[in-house]
Amino acid sequence: MSYHKRLQTDLRGAAAAGIITPEQADKIWERSYSERAFASFKAAHWIGAAAGLFVALGLILVVASNWDKIGAVTKMGAFLLLFAGAAEASLRLDDKPAAAIPLKTLWFFMPVLGIGLYAQIFNLSGDPIKPYLVWAALSAPLALLSKRPLAAYLCSLLLFVVLYSGTLGPANMLSLAARHNAASQPLWHWALALAALASGIALYPGKKLGMPLGAGVVWVFMMLVADTAIKVRSSALILLAGMSLAALWLSFGREPEEEKAGLPLLAWTGAVYAMTFFWHYRSHDSYGSSQSDTAAGGVITWLLFAGALAAVFLRKQRLFPEGKTEDYLGKGLLAASMLGAFLLFDTSEASAKILAVIANLLLAAFGIGCIMSGSRHANEKLINRGVAVITLTAVTRFVDIFGGLLKSGVAFIITGLAFGALAYFVNKGRKALIESVKK
Amino acid sequence: MSKLRIVLGLQLLFFVIWGGFLLSSRGADSPEFYLETAPVDPRDLISGTYVALTYDISRPTAGRCARNDKFGLLFVKLEHRGKMADTEAGQVPVYEAVDCDKNPPAEPGWAGASMQFTFGGMNAVYGIEKFFLNENDPRKDARSGSVVAKVKIGHGRRLQLLDLVKKL
Repeated sequence: MSYHKRLQTDLRGAAAAGIITPEQADKIWERSYSERAFASFKAAHWIGAAAGLFVALGLILVVASNWDKIGAVTKMGAFLLLFAGAAEASLRLDDKPAAAIPLKTLWFFMPVLGIGLYAQIFNLSGDPIKPYLVWAALSAPLALLSKRPLAAYLCSLLLFVVLYSGTLGPANMLSLAARHNAASQPLWHWALALAALASGIALYPGKKLGMPLGAGVVWVFMMLVADTAIKVRSSALILLAGMSLAALWLSFGREPEEEKAGLPLLAWTGAVYAMTFFWHYRSHDSYGSSQSDTAAGGVITWLLFAGALAAVFLRKQRLFPEGKTEDYLGKGLLAASMLGAFLLFDTSEASAKILAVIANLLLAAFGIGCIMSGSRHANEKLINRGVAVITLTAVTRFVDIFGGLLKSGVAFIITGLAFGALAYFVNKGRKALIESVKK
Repeated sequence: MSKLRIVLGLQLLFFVIWGGFLLSSRGADSPEFYLETAPVDPRDLISGTYVALTYDISRPTAGRCARNDKFGLLFVKLEHRGKMADTEAGQVPVYEAVDCDKNPPAEPGWAGASMQFTFGGMNAVYGIEKFFLNENDPRKDARSGSVVAKVKIGHGRRLQLLDLVKKL
């Protein structure tokens, strides 16, 4: 059922129940229906649009069949006219979203169409990333100055796609990963990559930093673990960098008033969950190869750790809703999740097992914290989150550590009883909260 | 004039200047010659079907070329040393790489390249590694070495790919 049909049903129901008058229901529905996309389009408009589409497709096919016979200057001139026409039309029809949005999208894609056309006409080749960077540079002013955020979203997405594919790909002006022990990539590749990263974050519309910051954080981590000039290979540094980045993302990328968990919280929880598997750690200094940490990678990791630790203590914690107890618990959990990585510096299996136990305790504390805080703030989602974290951790451990049916069965029973006790205390706390409000 | 119209003007100006440069470079007053090739036939995301080309001159070894195999800009001296190819238009001269230099002399015949690491090792990339053609063009299925590339040196010592010619 479409949104408007559902709304109409709900409004009729509300009117029948006497919550609102039938006139109000009609007015609400009419207002909502008139604001839908393509609301200004009448049947004649749709027929006109179809006619235009058919003529355009026909023209494209006629041109395509004679493509080789058309001269270079004619092709270039036609492209420039089409470019100017689409952009000018989008400016003139700016107050009509049904026309302006597709035209602005076309404008955004016109530079890359032009680059492709020129490459075809003049048989240009070379760096595979350069055309996309030029496209982003040409479209960045459009993204910045457009009233609507569409161009900014597209430009930011383009920059991140270019950043990832370029830095991890072979033989291009953004390549940062070494190939077959070849000489390291030049320094200006890093400058260009960082400029693309900063531009991608800056162009992302709105004040929400979560998504672009997350893309940046994941990219930095990939640069640290890939074969780059800042690679780290020891488990302790990789874990320290990963947990510091997760804590930084959570500190800066999640708005305090956000109701839903969001990716930063999921990433941090996932990182701690992954830490629980260090129970199976086997002592070795590096993985995959005999390569060692780079000095630059080490410095960056320590800087990330220092930054993350400062952010944890100086900024508001984002694990739980605000509250004195929640703040202590949240900051403690975040700091502990990073400090746990220090246990791996002696690369012993015993330390790794302690780290795994700590990670399990962190998850349990986080889950219980969510349940207690959720019951205090009457936040059902928070309680569900806590239950989900504890359940996932418990089930994983039963399969992971206990193994056998009998042991797992007993462990399930004990956990079930623990949940029952927790539910009892949560309910008791909720009642006490209601009583205190009544007084 | 609104800011967005200025943006549009700058974007169009970019394409006009670039197009003018490419057109005048193609018409540069320099001799046309041929290069040996080794093609395959992939497809480009934004420009369509093309023949991917590598050249004998992509791995220059003559003169000082062996010493100049580091990343970055390199100039390669292209010269006719007597090698010929049979085409429908008759015998054509095939040029070879005879020397390399980071700072070439002002004499003609030096082509700019970028040294890049590819799967086969360090390669000189000239910007003529793709020849775009119609999907029905029989040259799309050209086998390695069965075609020669007709080129000339344009502005800024950049090679211009003019045509792909079948050898007899």
